[in-house]
Amino acid sequence: MAFERILMKHVDVPNSTSLSVYKSDGGYEGAAKALQMKAEQVVELVKEANVRGRGGAGFPAGLKWSFLPAERDVTYLCVNADESEPPTFCNRVLMETDPHMLLEGILIAGYATRTTVAYIYMRGEFIEQFHIMQKAIDEAYEAGYLGKNILGSGYDLDCYIHRGAGAYICGEETGLIESLEGKRGWPRIKPPFPAVEGAFRKPTVVNNVETLACLPHIITRGVEWWQSLGPEGSFGPKMYCVSGPVNKPGCYEGPMGISVRDLIYADEFGGGMRDGKKVKAVLPGGFSMGVLRGDLFPKAPDGTVDPAQDYDELDARLDFDDVRRYGLLGLGTAAAVVVAEDTDIRDVLANVARFFAMESCGQCTQCREGSSWMYKMAQRIRGGAGRIADLDVLVEVTQNMGMMPGESICGLSDGAAWPIRTIVQKFRKEFEQHISAQAPDAAAEWIRRVNPAAYGLPIAQGRAEVMPGGTFYRPDSEPDTVEA
Amino acid sequence: MPKIIIDGQEIECRPGIPVLQAALEAGMDIPHYCYHPGLKIVASCRLCLMEMKMPHPKTKEMAWAPKLFPSCQTPAKDGMEVRFDSDAVRANVRHVMEYYLLNHPLDCPVCDKAGECYLQDYTEDHGSAASRMVDEKQKNPKKDIGPQTLLYSDRCVLCSRCVRFCDEISGTSELRVINRGSRGEIDVFPGRPLDNALQGNVVELCPVGALLDKEFLFRQRVWTLKTTKSISPVDSRGQSIYIDYNEEGIHRIRPRFNEKVNEWWISDEARFGWKHVHRDDRLNQPRVRGSDGLVPQRWEELPEFLRKRLADAAKQVSDSVAVVLSPMMSCEEAWLLAKAVRDVAPQAVLFHGFVPVVGEDRTFPKGFVVKAEKCPNRRGIETICEHLGGNTANWGDFLGMASSGKIKAAYVVGGYPNEWLTSEAVAAIGQVEFLVVQDLFPTALTEHAAVEIPSVSWTEREGMFMNCDGLLQEFERALNPLEGTKADGQFFFELAGNVGLFRAKKVREEMAAALPVFADVFIPQELPEHAH
Repeated sequence: MAFERILMKHVDVPNSTSLSVYKSDGGYEGAAKALQMKAEQVVELVKEANVRGRGGAGFPAGLKWSFLPAERDVTYLCVNADESEPPTFCNRVLMETDPHMLLEGILIAGYATRTTVAYIYMRGEFIEQFHIMQKAIDEAYEAGYLGKNILGSGYDLDCYIHRGAGAYICGEETGLIESLEGKRGWPRIKPPFPAVEGAFRKPTVVNNVETLACLPHIITRGVEWWQSLGPEGSFGPKMYCVSGPVNKPGCYEGPMGISVRDLIYADEFGGGMRDGKKVKAVLPGGFSMGVLRGDLFPKAPDGTVDPAQDYDELDARLDFDDVRRYGLLGLGTAAAVVVAEDTDIRDVLANVARFFAMESCGQCTQCREGSSWMYKMAQRIRGGAGRIADLDVLVEVTQNMGMMPGESICGLSDGAAWPIRTIVQKFRKEFEQHISAQAPDAAAEWIRRVNPAAYGLPIAQGRAEVMPGGTFYRPDSEPDTVEA
Repeated sequence: MPKIIIDGQEIECRPGIPVLQAALEAGMDIPHYCYHPGLKIVASCRLCLMEMKMPHPKTKEMAWAPKLFPSCQTPAKDGMEVRFDSDAVRANVRHVMEYYLLNHPLDCPVCDKAGECYLQDYTEDHGSAASRMVDEKQKNPKKDIGPQTLLYSDRCVLCSRCVRFCDEISGTSELRVINRGSRGEIDVFPGRPLDNALQGNVVELCPVGALLDKEFLFRQRVWTLKTTKSISPVDSRGQSIYIDYNEEGIHRIRPRFNEKVNEWWISDEARFGWKHVHRDDRLNQPRVRGSDGLVPQRWEELPEFLRKRLADAAKQVSDSVAVVLSPMMSCEEAWLLAKAVRDVAPQAVLFHGFVPVVGEDRTFPKGFVVKAEKCPNRRGIETICEHLGGNTANWGDFLGMASSGKIKAAYVVGGYPNEWLTSEAVAAIGQVEFLVVQDLFPTALTEHAAVEIPSVSWTEREGMFMNCDGLLQEFERALNPLEGTKADGQFFFELAGNVGLFRAKKVREEMAAALPVFADVFIPQELPEHAH
């Protein structure tokens, strides 16, 4: 059975951004139905359907809503449209082609959470999308889908667009709230969570654009339809992006849980690799979720390839749970960057490290200093002056940043650590080959050039644990050094 | 009082404080930068992380949670168990200390903060001797951010204490963090320098050498300085201060914690209010008017001379002797002087000295007050006069009585750091026949004075001040009196007919016996040793 496009059903429809086109196809029926129900019923329905947030972490939306305190006078809804993950553009497509679907979702979520004001926090670079959304909001106000007494239900909702200034960190929910309040987008310490104390110190719900766009369809089509799509625990349709040297890069919709191989090779998605190249690596969830190996992954410890038992990781299914089996942090944005076999893995590392070094907000020390240090190392490795020790240090740095070990306020540093660690670990052999192909003193020469303080000091070439100095020095093993 | 277990040791702590504060108050040395008890908690330096016991999600048994928690952000709750003494915590501190030095210029030999820098201290305790980063360092610039303050942003650890101080305490919000990631810097807005009445506090607040005072820049290595606890005389609240000095004199003044008055902060007035101590034109010898004007007199002969002349004046008209007690005097000095004069002239009138007032009281957002009244001991003088009774009056009355010629002999004490006499006041006081002036600097009264006695600044004396709220606070002597001078208290002690050394404590006991309010000297809490 061919998959019926839901979220992207209007992509090819002319003039799809207008209210009339949206309404001609059952638009705002979900909202009308929801407004007939009680707010608690809508929350229960969304909980029952198990809608997991599309922003990356996959937190159940209904559960998030139920964290709001029962006694509250004002509630805010923030729509996270700060889509800044590198190869991701699902929300952009959604807002460009179907702004009213998002507005209907906002209306439903707003009604369910007793929100009176919804803010769409939109990425600063979305200029055309801003005008499209604004036009749609104006239309919706005129038609009575926003404003006072919506559809005669007595429910009031105002909706405003707030445009960001181009910071990745403002996609983090508390960073978004800070930025919305007009401050520097530094994530807040939690608790209190936004559901208790968010924007303007009031209970706040932050939901992703795609999550909200799913809501009208759940209301109209029902929970059973929703749960018929995708595997257990990750129901529903999902927008996927695929970029890199594939035949048809772009944004596609499919059920949850398609495999990475399908996303690259299936005709309805990526359509195969350009020029018949092989896949070397895939970053399947935006940058921050980690890397999958697309080439054969030898099981034997000596690295010899046995096609009978070795595997590549392209069979990972893109849902919230399966990707974790391959060492990924999570589904992320389900935007796959495909790296072809002729790409140098050192370039991939430097590119990923650069992004996080630029976008770390600078609040927590581990993330601020660690990300820029990793970028410097990655640059040097790319420049042909790497050391085996750098690979160990890279892994050590990634193991000591992130929210999971408790060392940072927000998840950005997990997202910075994960891809770098998986790239270094999964492609370590290739890095080691590049390093052994360098001139013997390439690293020492580079270091002396950029860091005058290194003059006259021995520059370690060995593993990190045996580098001289301080607590990292183990006297029982001789450091392998060359004189600089 | 909640009881918590830190590293296996049960600690009782004040309710509602973070675990970090409880640990510091228990005397533990927990590294931290961004946490300051007077500022909002941001938990961003990630140095004070700890392990905590939590119920296991499945078995519900208490077990060490697999992640670390910021101890500055976690409130101490009764029965909780945490530890800092574990491999994970130590590894984290070691990593963070390595990160802080990645882009640090390591210029301690020329850094003013060296010796009291927590980057040095924590690196010595927890860091490693060599950096593993061999790449190019990020070089952030040195900036002139205000009339009094320099920012070396390459030494900054981005703890954002200074930013929060300007937001919360001074309420002026001059400082901001600009740029992202490791390129982040503290900066001011263009054309809006760091210039407010409390700005100097950011220098002590800075745990590293990033924010420096231009006055103190390159003046001294801090380990050559001696420190004395004192009270600032610049305004009537009596802010608690440390005076840092050595044989060359005072080098700087730092805030001293005082929970009832200034908490962790002092005003810039108090911080820079010591310049007059080292002015060149300080009076440095007592002089008595002879036929050729004022001629130097030996200190030893003064007490007898003054007692005789004041007694003579009192014999003519009993209430024609006046003593003007300056609010710059300590309580002990005022007590001794009043007693000494009343001893020879029992009807002598005690006058409250001139009270300088500049502008209006300024209250800052979190309650820090800079008083308009610029003297430390008006309340103390009033209390003493009230107790001693008899004829007492205020400064205005004194001028009135002096100009009408009722006063035959007057002992006027000044001691103000600035010019304090109006021409009308000088004209009025000039009417007094036998005028004794005791002051820091030559004033317009010099030409009318029969006797001119040098006073010394508060840093060269000891005693106590009673602030505008009636709080009695003591201050200690930092410097020796300027050569040729004598501490005021010592001179009054001798004037009262005593022999030996003036000890403020002894006089205080005598005063307390007469007036219980003087027994109640307020001594602020000591901050925990490892808190900063």
